[in-house]
Amino acid sequence: MIRFPRFLHLLALLPVLLILGGCPGRSEAPAAVHRSRILMGTVIEITAYGPEQKPLERAVGQAFAEMARIENLMTPHQPQSDVAHLSAADGPLQVSPETAAVIAAGLKVGAASDGAFDMGLGRLKDLWDIEGEHPRIPGAEELRAALVGTGAGDLRLAGRTVTKRDPRLLVDLGGIAKGYAVDRAIAVLQAAGVKHAAVNAGGDIRLLGGRGDRPWKIGIQHPRRKDAILATLELANTAVVTSGDYERFFERDGVRYHHLFDPKTGQPARLCRSVTIVAPEAMLADALATAVFVLGPVAGPELLQRFPGCEGLIVAADGSTVTTPGLAGKVTWR
Amino acid sequence: MISSAVDPRELDRQRRRVFLALFAALAVALHTVEALLPSPAPWFRLGFANILTLVTLFLFGGRAAWAVALTRIGVGSLLLGNLFAPGFFLSLSGGVAATALMTGAKAVAGRHIGPVGVSALGAAGHASGQLLVAWLLLVRTPALWGLYPYFLLFSLGAGIANGIAADLLLDALRDHPAFAGRLEREGR
Amino acid sequence: MALKGAWRRTRPLDRLLVALLLILCGVLLVWLRPGPPGSRVVVEREGTVIFTAPLDVERTVELAGRLGPTRLAIRQGSVCILDSPCPRKICIGMGSITRTGELLACVPNGLLVRIDGGPGVQPSEPAYDLLSR
Repeated sequence: MIRFPRFLHLLALLPVLLILGGCPGRSEAPAAVHRSRILMGTVIEITAYGPEQKPLERAVGQAFAEMARIENLMTPHQPQSDVAHLSAADGPLQVSPETAAVIAAGLKVGAASDGAFDMGLGRLKDLWDIEGEHPRIPGAEELRAALVGTGAGDLRLAGRTVTKRDPRLLVDLGGIAKGYAVDRAIAVLQAAGVKHAAVNAGGDIRLLGGRGDRPWKIGIQHPRRKDAILATLELANTAVVTSGDYERFFERDGVRYHHLFDPKTGQPARLCRSVTIVAPEAMLADALATAVFVLGPVAGPELLQRFPGCEGLIVAADGSTVTTPGLAGKVTWR
Repeated sequence: MISSAVDPRELDRQRRRVFLALFAALAVALHTVEALLPSPAPWFRLGFANILTLVTLFLFGGRAAWAVALTRIGVGSLLLGNLFAPGFFLSLSGGVAATALMTGAKAVAGRHIGPVGVSALGAAGHASGQLLVAWLLLVRTPALWGLYPYFLLFSLGAGIANGIAADLLLDALRDHPAFAGRLEREGR
Repeated sequence: MALKGAWRRTRPLDRLLVALLLILCGVLLVWLRPGPPGSRVVVEREGTVIFTAPLDVERTVELAGRLGPTRLAIRQGSVCILDSPCPRKICIGMGSITRTGELLACVPNGLLVRIDGGPGVQPSEPAYDLLSR
């Protein structure tokens, strides 16, 4: 009888101890890390929130290292990269499993979009040199030559072996590799135990969790006004990629020549000013953004319907906007 | 022993029941016909059925008025087919608020208030009750209350009309022996 | 003539009550007057915001409601409903609204359009955390 009350006291103490013990772990995000680095020709920013500073910094460093590794693997500018080897190859070539996976994803978007997304435009890009020192408008003959071997079926993938339809084809994974790198960075952060982070690779964004206790507010660049925002999206745990005709371009005689080409004509696609895709992965969002940009405000949403979980906000060439239904309620227009 | 068939008290009670049933039926009829009329906003009604509630109030008192009002709301909704739909809740709140104000006013002011005054208050209650429930159940923006003055004005007009109509009806009934003694002579 | 008859059916207290209620209406009209011109349109369906936009950018937008799409036009600082699948089109007849607190509603379609913002409403948080370009 006497022992019973004492036992009860101990029992009552237990939950109090448990709560006190659990408390420090409960407090969310007193540490924040925000780092930038230039990779893949653009500024990459990684933001991460967590309970302690040092582990966060370490994880962010690892994420950057991972992105650098992907760049080395998939850039056309380094002779030992998979892409460089592929472009130089005459016959079938075995690539790394990651490159094969990226190419597989790109082929899927390409097939679904009837060739609007094409990974064989390396020669075309070099011809226009939009991102280079001497951008120019190529003539019809040059365009035809650059488009040789492109189009549906220009790359065939069997396991890890890639075969080009035409040996002169130059492979360019620019419209999808950055997204893949962002996905890998998030994977590294997640493996390191980070719960709230954002990776922004020059506008290709993927979010891990929310921003602390609220979703991330993602601003969409206004396609014509440099310092203005078109709209903001409230998102968490998803990827956002925008492709626009204002990022890399030159103008001649009042006509804008930008870097998003229509693979069928070799000319810059004319139907949109910008396309923003929200998708579960940045790699998918990246490829879809390019495809939808080429397809335009009518065929673009139709393509998105075939990819469940992917939504889009399109600014058409005349400035009008199209938003897919899944995005309603998350867009705040400015 | 006087036979119950002629017992004036029993006769009175029977008469009361019959007339309450009649008034309730008339109120239901008005309620359903009113649903056909255009209105400024969906589910909001002008409350013409209150004429009968008024007449009941002046002839048979507060409790009878409640009986007629609640019967009207329940049976009316069953007939219209909107029991437990938003329209029903608006009717209910409007009707309850109106009847409460009307019976309360009669109880407080007694002889000094006539059907028009009671009806005006009832109309104000009707509009307020409907708006309150609309705010609670349907449209939770404070901006809804911007419509309050307009609804009030509208209802007030209908309320005055109701009051006049009820007064006319009461006048007609006053001379009928069935209601002898129920209405005090006003000496107009 | 009928008016005289109507007047005679009222009592002093009745007239007082009606007068008081009319005064109440007047007071409410002033109190609940819509406020200064707003800055944003907010559209709600069943209590959740499904669309919001500034009033100073001209645009036409189609929003999905219970019965179908309702079209709104935002023009010259005001918003009005152009088209809606409701049976009586009361919402279109409501015209355009421009002041904070004013309302348009298509009740059958479940959509509520209101004006928000106005002078003195300052955002306390940054407009966005990350920019997608």
